[in-house]
Amino acid sequence: MKSITLESPSSPQVGSNNFELLRVKDLTVSITGTKIIDSISFSLTRGETLGVVGANGSGKTTLIRSIAGLLKPDVGTIRVQGVDGSDLGHRDRARIISYMPQQVQSHPFTAFEAVLMGRYPHLGRLQLEGVEDREIAFSAMRRTGTESFADRRLDTLSGGERQRVVMARVLAQQPQILLMDEPTASLDLEFQILAMDLINDEVAKRNSGAIVILHDLSLAARFCDRILLMQNGELTAKGTPWEVLTPENLRAAFNIEGLVEPDPVTGMPHVLVLGSEKSGSKKSVGFGRTVHMVCGAGSGRQLMHQLKVAGYAVTAGVLGTGDSDREAAERLGVKYVSAPSFSPISESQHSEHIELINRADHVVLCPMAVGMNNLLNIHAAAEGSSLFVIESPDGKVSDYTGGKALELRRSMVERAGSISEASLLFELARHALE
Amino acid sequence: MAEDELKTVRYKMTGPSVTQRLFTGAALLGLSTFIVALIAVSVGPFNVPFSNTASIMLDLVGLGDSTADPTERAIIQSIRLPRILLAFMVGAGLGISGGVMQALFRNSMADPGIIGVSSGGAAGAVVVIALGLNTVSGFFLPLGAFIGSMIAMTVVFVIANVGGRFSMATLLLGGIAVSSFLSAITTAIIILTDDLTVQRQIIFWIAGGVDMARWESVQIVSPIILVGVVITVFAARDLNLLLVSEDEARSLGVRLGLIRSVLMILASLITGAAVAFSGIIAFVGLVVPHVMRLIVGADHRVLLPLSALAGGLFLLVADTAARIILSPAELRVGIVTAMFGAPFFVYLLVKNRSRVSML
Repeated sequence: MKSITLESPSSPQVGSNNFELLRVKDLTVSITGTKIIDSISFSLTRGETLGVVGANGSGKTTLIRSIAGLLKPDVGTIRVQGVDGSDLGHRDRARIISYMPQQVQSHPFTAFEAVLMGRYPHLGRLQLEGVEDREIAFSAMRRTGTESFADRRLDTLSGGERQRVVMARVLAQQPQILLMDEPTASLDLEFQILAMDLINDEVAKRNSGAIVILHDLSLAARFCDRILLMQNGELTAKGTPWEVLTPENLRAAFNIEGLVEPDPVTGMPHVLVLGSEKSGSKKSVGFGRTVHMVCGAGSGRQLMHQLKVAGYAVTAGVLGTGDSDREAAERLGVKYVSAPSFSPISESQHSEHIELINRADHVVLCPMAVGMNNLLNIHAAAEGSSLFVIESPDGKVSDYTGGKALELRRSMVERAGSISEASLLFELARHALE
Repeated sequence: MAEDELKTVRYKMTGPSVTQRLFTGAALLGLSTFIVALIAVSVGPFNVPFSNTASIMLDLVGLGDSTADPTERAIIQSIRLPRILLAFMVGAGLGISGGVMQALFRNSMADPGIIGVSSGGAAGAVVVIALGLNTVSGFFLPLGAFIGSMIAMTVVFVIANVGGRFSMATLLLGGIAVSSFLSAITTAIIILTDDLTVQRQIIFWIAGGVDMARWESVQIVSPIILVGVVITVFAARDLNLLLVSEDEARSLGVRLGLIRSVLMILASLITGAAVAFSGIIAFVGLVVPHVMRLIVGADHRVLLPLSALAGGLFLLVADTAARIILSPAELRVGIVTAMFGAPFFVYLLVKNRSRVSML
């Protein structure tokens, strides 16, 4: 598989006017009376690799098993190349759709025999595999790097080797739609990349389409054109990796805090999982350290979540009633100085704020909009001994104080420098390790 | 040149094709069966010289010159030939239905009687013997056994389908339950029977044998087993997929429910027919597919036909051995298959330890 061979005995169906391979509409499926997925709609076009992500039990496997025809939908339609899925015969379906299950069971066939089974739907009932079928199977084994154990029984192979054998079987089936349930689950790091490359390559070469369930979000972002995000049986987001893999979506769907940054190789989102609200431990670098945040109007919400997960004790500067950062602070149990909305910060609030800042190990100034009411927050931030100024994502900081706030901010940047929101945790960790 | 070399390498890696394996295996097994059959026709309490055997056999197919000794001819024609054919047919039936059951249950511990067919047959036969019906007509015994088999199979199927949802696990456990229940009935009848002759007849039948063979038995059993073999070969590819996994089988176009019911009923019919005419012959259905899998691999398109041939050969050898070991007395063939089959099986298991798996 290291040298992906592009020879394939059959020609791809280029020139077909039908760009849409699959359309799923309002699909609802129950298993023994329990609704597992609920009115899901999406489509798959030719040449597309579609990633499906979501927490355990969110219905990913049920979704692709339904498309494979293994489960009957309660409601909704699955149209395969314009034909209603329920009108497709068993063998016709098997020639168009291939399914790679999550669990690869052991059996006494040799790897080659197992791959050759991908040709069965293309043969008559008593027809045996011909030379061409054997060539197709063998070429699929070469592409998955499994030809070296072609004559070994599957029950003598490792989990990852078996998984690659099943992948070779899926390729030998030469389907239009590849359904794959965690195809990289047992693979080592190199084969994860090579396997996904192979799926992309197959989809491009045969102008087919793939729906791939993945747990590794960065892998999904790197190799999938679009991503479906599932949560409790519903499709909560679909779109490009950048549209779907946002910290908010990760929090909602997986209950995790994640940093989403561009991958240095592909420029696609790379997800660094920080942890979940339940995962804090004494081993986190933030344990025993306090970070004070000067923020407002949602500018510190993301960081507050991330800092909490990293084990820091978080406090926050004066936050007015109804401020979205204040809501986040409430939810996360962050200690903060409170003020009524639309009124200037009072002296007692300011001194309370200074006290929190003096007690904190680090102070973080967020790029919030500053007006006369919260100007004192910036002054307070300047008192911090270890100060981090966060850059605004678009480079602009709204100032309604006639330049005073910006002036102050500039002097603080001169003193302490400024960093992006995503690198704050790295900087803090470096401090902790010194 | 390079392309040819590549093909050789691929061939070495991927082995001979289905047809090559099937024909080679069938040729070897067929030849062995023919040789063993010739020996079996000749030997026994009344030995027929091989030269006479040959001319009598030619006679029987209409090519001979009818100079053979009439007694020898009669023994071969009406006693030994039907017995040899019945042994072969019953062995073939048990071999193939064992292979089918092992695939359906995805477990090499499965044997043809797994869903209660053998114990049903035994119970049916025992009832017939206890009521003395077997003395009325020779065909009441196989009939009773066959009816018993079919009743047991039906009951187990009904149990497995309770609530409208078919379950393989329930089928297996239901089969075990029904078997135990029927064995209890059989034992009870044996104990409660005062007549020692009847008791002896029952135990004799249960031990399994093909000594009651007549041409009529062969005529009844053969079509059932031949039809079974043909249909099974049609479904062999589906069984391959089924052994991989149910989901993969269905996604590769197998109509799982249909194939499973048809094959399960077919294998039970074959077993029922075999049990009806030969009693319970242990071990053939379990061991033969297992051994063949070690030799020819798991592809059912090769495995099932060859298991039928090997089962036939095995039972033929065992029956011949049963006839000559204690000659002029006879051992029951069911005893021979277990007494000689079991150690041989253990030897194979130990020798091939690395290749033996639950499947």
